[in-house]
Amino acid sequence: MNTDNKNINRIDRCFTELKAANKKALITFVTAGDPDLETTEKTVLEMFDRGADIIELGVPFSDPIAEGVTIQKASLRSLNNGTTLDKIFETVKNIRTKTDKPLLLMMYLNTIFVYGTEKFFSLCREYGIDGVIVPDMPYEERDELLPYADKYGIHNINLVSPASHDRIKEIAADSSGFLYCVSSNGVTGTRSGFSTDFDEFFGLIRDNASCPYCVGFGISGAQQAHDMASYCDGVIVGSAIVNIIAENGKDCVNKVGDFVQELKEGISDSI
Amino acid sequence: MIKLCGMQRTQDIEAANKMLPDYIGMILSDGYRRTIAPDTAITLLGMLDRRIKSVGVFVDEDVDYIVKYVTDIQNKCCRHPDVIQLHGHEDAQYISALREALRLHGLQDISIWKAARVRNSDDIIAAFALQADCLVLDSYVAKAAGGTGVKADWELIRRTIGRCIESSAGTAFFLAGGINCDNLAEALSVSPNVDLSGGIETDGFKDADKMAAVMRIYKSNLRCAKDGAGMEINMNKKGRFGDFGGQYVPETVMNAVSELEEAYNRYKDDPEFNRELQALYHDYANRPSLLYYADKMTKDLGGAKIYIKREDLNHTGAHKINNVLGQILLAKRMGKKRIIAETGAGQHGVATATVCALFGLECCVYMGIEDTQRQSLNVYRMELLGAKVVPVDSGTGTLKDAINEAMRDWCTNIETTFYCIGSVMGPHPYPEMVRDFQKVISAEIKAQLQEKEGRLPDCVVACVGGGSNAMGAFYNFIPDTSVRLVGAEAAGRGADTPMNAATLTNGSTGIFHGMKSIFLQDKYGQIAPVYSISAGLDYPGIGPEHANLWKTGRADYVAITDEEAVCAFEYLSRMEGIIPAIESAHAVAAAIKIAPTMSPDQIMVINLSGRGDKDVYSVAKYRGHDIENS
Repeated sequence: MNTDNKNINRIDRCFTELKAANKKALITFVTAGDPDLETTEKTVLEMFDRGADIIELGVPFSDPIAEGVTIQKASLRSLNNGTTLDKIFETVKNIRTKTDKPLLLMMYLNTIFVYGTEKFFSLCREYGIDGVIVPDMPYEERDELLPYADKYGIHNINLVSPASHDRIKEIAADSSGFLYCVSSNGVTGTRSGFSTDFDEFFGLIRDNASCPYCVGFGISGAQQAHDMASYCDGVIVGSAIVNIIAENGKDCVNKVGDFVQELKEGISDSI
Repeated sequence: MIKLCGMQRTQDIEAANKMLPDYIGMILSDGYRRTIAPDTAITLLGMLDRRIKSVGVFVDEDVDYIVKYVTDIQNKCCRHPDVIQLHGHEDAQYISALREALRLHGLQDISIWKAARVRNSDDIIAAFALQADCLVLDSYVAKAAGGTGVKADWELIRRTIGRCIESSAGTAFFLAGGINCDNLAEALSVSPNVDLSGGIETDGFKDADKMAAVMRIYKSNLRCAKDGAGMEINMNKKGRFGDFGGQYVPETVMNAVSELEEAYNRYKDDPEFNRELQALYHDYANRPSLLYYADKMTKDLGGAKIYIKREDLNHTGAHKINNVLGQILLAKRMGKKRIIAETGAGQHGVATATVCALFGLECCVYMGIEDTQRQSLNVYRMELLGAKVVPVDSGTGTLKDAINEAMRDWCTNIETTFYCIGSVMGPHPYPEMVRDFQKVISAEIKAQLQEKEGRLPDCVVACVGGGSNAMGAFYNFIPDTSVRLVGAEAAGRGADTPMNAATLTNGSTGIFHGMKSIFLQDKYGQIAPVYSISAGLDYPGIGPEHANLWKTGRADYVAITDEEAVCAFEYLSRMEGIIPAIESAHAVAAAIKIAPTMSPDQIMVINLSGRGDKDVYSVAKYRGHDIENS
């Protein structure tokens, strides 16, 4: 990992600044290439303008086993448009000329493995990707990516879920960037409520985490974001945004911006 | 990894303890220059740092002798060698016998390595076929068993391994023979794993300075060589077949996978569990299944004697019941009340629905919408048995999408639900566990053929989708290298057209559905849409153990088109009065090609994995008859 200030990972810098200002992180997600990469670029910049601190770009995969219907359909729309990892890297390159805020890729392991793990991370570094979230790579298989992610200064974001139970201790203690806390067992997608015992879940995480921790999966509005942010260092919102894109297509940019602003206001007074 | 071999004295171990090589070796067979007495072995092992693994080297000893030797050491210093390295003429059968003997003595955690003396690429390929856990590739010097101290033909090894890694072999290996301080870097460019002995000696004994110099070079090379690190990782991981396998699943299901692994390890050798399973096999599933001599077919093809293993006569009409009975017995012991499964042709779904009915469990089967249409009979059977069938319309609406949806269900209902996977695929422990529940097929073939012919078969043929019936039919023959193993995969409209499911013919390494294996995919790793007339073979991947059998060259895989399969379907129906499942017809088609090339004193076994009633509509349709609506 880079230690000199100039090369410090943007995710680390972001959390340091938020912490100093006593604020929570708003992390938002869009599927890259849905409805097209031009719109993705505009949407990303709009979300940053309206209050997103960190953005995850979903790399579409043919068989996204950790996704609910919303993101499955977004992936399919994107793939049908001919989106590829190379084209996404081009878009990232464009975005990087306009913002220096943290960007992550959320993607499936096979995409990285087949592309070439070292080549992938070296391009992440070159184009300005700060972290990857790979939902089908559990902690035990992390050596598939970690040596290369470390070599190029990219965070590999670990996930924990309520079903992780006693695994949380080890994983939370060995994480970097931020720890992705899955709100409830299941796939991505909005939920009306949660049955997880958050005090217990986040208690275990708080006692062991070696980095900031944020909650995602199923957060659909400002009130929920507000409530969830009180447990952790940030909230992650994905499917609710992807739904707006699905409904509005290329005209989604302002509407997504409005929603992101609501979310930001929702978590601004959360402590 | 690095192994320092031929430790003889306490000061050698003291030096190793400071440097922490991955392995040290001791020569335990009598009569070699570096042989140490059993008492010395106990002393050295007792003082060896626990972070260093130990290798006991034996040359052409009896299996019993080795087991006794190891057990004695264990009794005296509470530690035994982590590895047994065989340095003589031990063959696959020997290795298999040793593995079994170790298991019987509770020593199954000992790895078995085989040293091979390399003259040419065939020696290397043959060594990979021995099914040792790891190989030590040494140079060949006539008449000299054991370490030769002479440098092997590294260029030959590099070329052969390079070829094997691209198209076949996967077992890890150590490079040995004549490696020293000066050529270590070169050796590491051939193999990330090296074995040194003479190169770290002065006047016939280990030289601590030379050991230290070698370790320095090794460690600095390790930091640069990421691929070497990758190999090391995979060798140490559980659930691997060579480089294939693993547990690539979302965090949410990791505890469930571990829980299953624990339960399986607890019950697989439990006498009560096995008694119950055997009783169900016998009284409920109609095992053992018949081994039938196909006289007419043999005469018609004019080659090898053909036997047909009648898995189609099992209850529910296919081999799938073998696995489901095992998994549901396990689910019951784990206290799970809800069972989910995926199904392609519907045979696994029917078997799961059947056993759930028998045990009064809730059953939900995911099935691609495309498959629910071409296998409507099986959908009705599942519903009749009380299961809920969920048609999956995402993706291509076939088997892989059914698996995706079952995985999503599992993530959501993880605390209550048992996922009964139907093939030798998915995350560890499934590939191993499903194989273990199916290996009864090859155990029976072996015994039945022994009784009928007094010998092993020369060839075993089975169809391969995920590969469970083939793993079951192959498994007990893997150590018998004289038995050719042939898998028949689905070429659909042709392996050179886009409409195929010929994974090993056209695929490449990937990570999907919980495993590292071979998949049909594009250059960005998007899983390819696949096609076959057979819903059960219509899958873009293959189980990891097959990928390894293919990579090591132990099994051959041929691609069979729809047309060939349909012809074989009709052929077996008319020739022997047996209507095979369209999946199994792929194996029959491969047999029709191979049998005539064999001689009449040779024996071929076709594993007929299922019966063909379910396929009558779609074969009729293929031939232009619409019997469904007439």
